[in-house]
Amino acid sequence: METVSVLPELTIEPTEIKLMSGSEALMRSLVAEKVDTIFGYPGGAIMPVYDALYDFQDQINHILVRHEQGAGHAAQGYARMQGRAGVCLVTSGPGATNLVTAIADALIDSTPLVCIVGQVGKKLLGTDAFQEADVMGVTMPITKWNYQITSADEVPEIMAKAFYIAQSGRPGPVLIDMTKSAQLELMTQPFVYERCQTIISYRPRLTPKQDQVEAAAKLINEAKRPYIFAGHGVQLAKAEEELLAFAEKTGIPVATTLLGQSTIPTNHPNYVGWLGMHGNYGPNVLTDQADVIIAIGMRFDDRVTGDASKYIRQAKVIHVEIDPAEIDKIIKAHAPIVGDAREVLKALLPLVKENDHTVWRNEFRKYDVIENENITAPELSGDTEKIKMAEVIDLLSRKTNGNAVLVTDVGQHQMMASRYYQFRQKNSLVTSGGMGTMGFALPAAFGAQVAAPDRQVVAIIGDGCFQMTLQELGTIVQNEQPVKAIILNNNFLGMVRQWQQLFHSRRYSFVELQNPDFVTIAKGFGMAGHTCNERETLSDSLDQMLAFDGPYLLEVIVEKEENVFPMVPAGASVSQIRLK
Amino acid sequence: MTTYTICIFTGNTIGLLNRITIIFTRRRINIESLTVSETERKGVSRFTIVIRHESRDEVEKIVRQIRKIVEVLAVFGYLNDEIVFNEIALFKISTPLGSKPLDVETINKLHKAWVVYWGLDYVVIEKTGNETEIFAFFEYLRQYEILEFVRSGRVAVGKTEKGLVEYLPEAEWAYYL
Ligand SMILES: Cc1ncc(C[n+]2csc(CCOP(=O)(O)OP(=O)(O)O)c2C)c(N)n1
Repeated sequence: METVSVLPELTIEPTEIKLMSGSEALMRSLVAEKVDTIFGYPGGAIMPVYDALYDFQDQINHILVRHEQGAGHAAQGYARMQGRAGVCLVTSGPGATNLVTAIADALIDSTPLVCIVGQVGKKLLGTDAFQEADVMGVTMPITKWNYQITSADEVPEIMAKAFYIAQSGRPGPVLIDMTKSAQLELMTQPFVYERCQTIISYRPRLTPKQDQVEAAAKLINEAKRPYIFAGHGVQLAKAEEELLAFAEKTGIPVATTLLGQSTIPTNHPNYVGWLGMHGNYGPNVLTDQADVIIAIGMRFDDRVTGDASKYIRQAKVIHVEIDPAEIDKIIKAHAPIVGDAREVLKALLPLVKENDHTVWRNEFRKYDVIENENITAPELSGDTEKIKMAEVIDLLSRKTNGNAVLVTDVGQHQMMASRYYQFRQKNSLVTSGGMGTMGFALPAAFGAQVAAPDRQVVAIIGDGCFQMTLQELGTIVQNEQPVKAIILNNNFLGMVRQWQQLFHSRRYSFVELQNPDFVTIAKGFGMAGHTCNERETLSDSLDQMLAFDGPYLLEVIVEKEENVFPMVPAGASVSQIRLK
Repeated sequence: MTTYTICIFTGNTIGLLNRITIIFTRRRINIESLTVSETERKGVSRFTIVIRHESRDEVEKIVRQIRKIVEVLAVFGYLNDEIVFNEIALFKISTPLGSKPLDVETINKLHKAWVVYWGLDYVVIEKTGNETEIFAFFEYLRQYEILEFVRSGRVAVGKTEKGLVEYLPEAEWAYYL
């Protein structure tokens, strides 16, 4: 029987009255932010979100990792390559606490993350419910912002804020703790998503003040031995071209920080090397001879300054920073410029005079010769019984023409990778700088590869580091990402061993590892690989790895007790850098 | 050691107190007193935090770290002579039968304090003033039996519009209410 209704309310479109759950609102918010990839791991308190995700698989690629720390580092690798927030989705309690290391790493290395974490239902908060942890409390000191969503209606506005805060100004991790009740309940109003553009209490300055720019330009134009330090901020601001234009016009030598590497090609005539504890000789020593330092998007980390009280006391410092709290924090700035590195360099360019500073730049070359004679040439000479880390990186650099994305872990191999890889392209080094998180590289390389499918991603990993996150081999294989992983196996926690050798009279306290067979482990995960133990087969081994269609693990057995030099001993001044 | 009064204007969100205090605890700075109240603007809270520190530079750095908190609207650091400030103290004094009678006149006229509650064998006296005045009054009251003594945190208003913020390279990122 057919009945025709005359009641007006039945003419309302069903979509107009459909109210959305908090979980679905979350999915729609991610779509509105153009998020197409998230890294996650499910569990009880985030199940409603995973249920909503089931219907969004065509729009959002969820990658199931093997450990939440892996999700965090993968999202970091992704964010660093894409220049926008990486997104993680994990459950409450242990899921959230497993993410903590990556969040802390992202904060100190200014990496944008949006971490969505399940939480017990609102009524259970504070009752020590199953898998309840005070994640807001735990993450407060290590997030740029965190917020607990307890009602579905909050979702669109809070997610918009989360992405805005994570990605704007000095980027950083944001954590959203979402109660299960908020995931389940229905919104009481229609879902409307407006991207956040501004927050009254948070207004990062992008455009610098003209008087600050002018004061800096004056110092630069009068300088006899000016010197640029390019930090991670250059990459975050996508200011690589502006940096080059500025350096080329003024002729000023450019050194980078660890994270600033690859912002300028290593064969560029203005590039002089990188700074810091294991950085290059000349760039460290000549820090004490510059008369004007132009520090761009860097924060004078103690691994760069050595003893900060003895650091660049002779020079005037121009400090270009988006985060005003960094100015004068470690080193007093004579001419601070608050602003985005790109905007600042654009504003400076017309005000600085053309110059070449050849004599000054040639100073650096003198030190290059010393460094080469004492360190680089011997390390690459191939006259030792075992392969040296330097040889592997040097060969890799040549075989990839300096065009790979290196994702490095933490330790000697990290420093060697930075010393010997000749970066030709911008955005080519992903490493854990400020936190020095062992286990970072494998998941971060995975995330970087997902973010940059067209680039060759090579992870350089120590045998110690590898064993912190090796389960992510499973993620790499399951997602068919062609990540190449090189384990530089010295059978030691090498960097710690080096310190014990140099500063603790060779008292090797718990630094030797009994390692598993890494290649067998890779095979167990379904990943191809082989071990290279002989110098004669190194070149072929690298070729084989690079040519392989798919993920590959290459283990290289290296010299057990080599040390990374030059080295500024902890607490020494940069000019006390040691060559041996 | 110099006393600094840090006034922080914020939005009103849960957890902000924690976010602010961890900036001090991480640097091992003891908070001498802390008060929070809503300001003349709805939804805007004002934290008044008193610390003692040897280095003005360090205090400026802390001010900037606080300024970084997303919900913080403005931060001002003040020296004592740049603000009008007060605290309130309550004294509970034992007055059983036969004890020394209170000299209410001295309490009122000399110490500008007031008996605000008469119990059966005790009184509660309220004294408003700065730390020195309150301690002077405490000394005076020692002749009686002090059952309880409690002091609030400092509240302060600036004598000028700006404080330490003037010395920051980017004074303008403070948001004036
Ligand atoms: C999570 C974590 N734990 C401990 C350390 C301290 N640490 C720094 S480097 C290092 C040794 C790394 O050993 P390995 O991965 O074998 O690399 P190598 O130095 O030998 O190249 C250690 C233990 C750290 N950085 N991170």
